[in-house]
Amino acid sequence: MSLLEVTDLKTHFRTDDGIVKAVDGVSFSVEKGQTLGIVGESGSGKSVTCLTIMGLNAKVNTISSGQAMWKGKDLLKMNSRQLRQIRGDEIAMIFQDPMTSLNPVKSIGNQLIEAILLHRDVSKRQARARALELLKAVGIPRAERRIDDYPHQFSGGMRQRVMIAMALINDPDLLIADEPTTALDVTTQAQILNLMTKLQADFGSAIIMITHDLGVIAEIADDVVVMYAAQVVEQAPVTNLFERPHHPYTWGLLGSLPRLDVEVDRLVQIQGQPPSLLNPPRGCRFHPRCPYVFEKCKTEQPTLDPVSHDDAHLQRCWLDEETKDREAAKLTHMGTAA
Amino acid sequence: MATTETQAAPVATNGSGDELLRVDGLVKYFPVTRGIIFQKEVASVKAVDGVSFTVRKGETLGVVGESGCGKSTMARCVMRLLDPTGGKIVFDGRDITHLSRAEMRPIRRELMMIFQDPYASLNPRKRVGFIIAEALEVHKLGTDAEIKKRVQELLEVVGLNPEHYNRFPHEFSGGQRQRIGVARALAVNPKLIVCDEPVSALDVSVQAQILNLLKDLQQEFGLTYIFIAHDLNVVRHISDRVMVMYLGHNVEVATRDQLYRDPKHPYTGALLSAVPIPNPELGRARKAFVLEGDVPSPLNPPSACWFHPRCPRFKEGHCDVVTPPLYDFEAGHQAACHYPLEHWPMTEEELRHPTAPPLSPPPSATTAG
Repeated sequence: MSLLEVTDLKTHFRTDDGIVKAVDGVSFSVEKGQTLGIVGESGSGKSVTCLTIMGLNAKVNTISSGQAMWKGKDLLKMNSRQLRQIRGDEIAMIFQDPMTSLNPVKSIGNQLIEAILLHRDVSKRQARARALELLKAVGIPRAERRIDDYPHQFSGGMRQRVMIAMALINDPDLLIADEPTTALDVTTQAQILNLMTKLQADFGSAIIMITHDLGVIAEIADDVVVMYAAQVVEQAPVTNLFERPHHPYTWGLLGSLPRLDVEVDRLVQIQGQPPSLLNPPRGCRFHPRCPYVFEKCKTEQPTLDPVSHDDAHLQRCWLDEETKDREAAKLTHMGTAA
Repeated sequence: MATTETQAAPVATNGSGDELLRVDGLVKYFPVTRGIIFQKEVASVKAVDGVSFTVRKGETLGVVGESGCGKSTMARCVMRLLDPTGGKIVFDGRDITHLSRAEMRPIRRELMMIFQDPYASLNPRKRVGFIIAEALEVHKLGTDAEIKKRVQELLEVVGLNPEHYNRFPHEFSGGQRQRIGVARALAVNPKLIVCDEPVSALDVSVQAQILNLLKDLQQEFGLTYIFIAHDLNVVRHISDRVMVMYLGHNVEVATRDQLYRDPKHPYTGALLSAVPIPNPELGRARKAFVLEGDVPSPLNPPSACWFHPRCPRFKEGHCDVVTPPLYDFEAGHQAACHYPLEHWPMTEEELRHPTAPPLSPPPSATTAG
């Protein structure tokens, strides 16, 4: 049994303009000790998916349906008391912006201690010792002296480390990281990614990594989910996805990435803007931006089906295999040529 | 600053007749004061500490470095939005270092800037047409009708609908706003555009659109860019030459191909090896060399070589005593390191143990000999 199994998850928000379908039928599962990467543009529903799983969406005007089975129990059916016991203990989350997700008027030590005391029956002293241990584990220099500092005394990379320490403090089984390195420099990003993989090896936690950087995905993910306009368009183990991407949107994402290993004069650009989720396009949601569009795409929505010869690789596109082989080969050739 | 003067010399000779901008030993210190009525200067933040470079007409100079290395301060000094503490800025054959505000005015239309945050850099209360036209009106370039026509032309050039002239910034997405920022910079036909992290806040797909747009415009109008970014992939894609900054100094300058094929400074090497590669096999096979710690405080920078506390090749008694000058390698390739990288790529072990002798002997050796 998977650690977390999400089936047909839907999150709709009621707004004055109509119903925004922010997540529309997303399914995936996460195994113990594995890393699942979720990629997509802003507004594709990556973050809302995870907020829904954690029960962190505002209750008013939100309609969620589907299932999120956590160790055999449905997270979506739990009341807030039950969820509170799981959040920060069994499932922890790292938010994108390290500048705004720490409380500015409490010392980081107290914030870490609070996280322990909420879930564990230990003395304040033991909690402080644990907090210190974690700060050392995430590589904060002179942790003994810095534990009583306030968030503004830390740099961005250091604050993100504190966030990671806080997320890991109760040895979570699942860590949800929402763009944990997007705001950081490459050197700090490399430090944080190293830290996450090391901690995963030490504690055996599963990780859901949300990002729009395919480089980061290639580096740490085991499985990848590509989201577009509130739906999953492609899902595969990481090597399969990069070796033989099946969806034109994934091609677009790969092509639009300037990279060190490939020399291109002009980047592939995905034309236009992501669609409004108030009123998504008929048929395939990617068809207004897709260079390979034909009649069927405009009327019938493709289903998420396994590709031939590879059951683990799911995709949502009408295009024939032959064209796909040819187009994907162009992209992967670029990667190996350099 | 005697050391930076000597460092500046080889860069200056590099510039041919068509150089557009020359910066010599640029220094910018921010004072740290104490006291309310009688402000006493107690220290200074050495944000930019002796940076020299040239930019030739029609080329793109990429500037990379971590946050806090002085990239933006350097750009703001070049734009004369900040007054430099020392050094010289020569733009288009004219020394603009000490020009007054009034004297700067006519030059401002030749120097434009594109900012990082497309949400914060457009006035939310003004219509797009006004935002783009403002520079034209300030410099009195045409009648109202001409200006309106020019603005619509510009909107079209950057790939927006000219009829969106009367819309407000909030009606546009992040990528479209950045296009408005580009149109505003283009309005007065500038000679040099300073792009300060123009794509850092954007999604990859939108980022590709803006990068392509900037490249197209450069070809069409022969623009010159200084392109500041912390993403080495982006800088490689757009630049002709690249300057790597660390703690207010330029540690390496090279053409794009030289820098990415054969970096000399260990800091450049560390930056390059930290970039994630979007290829699971290649990316995991290679072992990234991870730089420990953060950039030191520019309030109290390390002695001699600024990089020595974090450097894998640090040699005691040399790197912390003698400031490395910008050594020359191939034509146009300079790096400030006594123990430059012998080849690239290299393993962590090779990175830690330089095999070649230092480019200049440590002081202990010279006194002994």
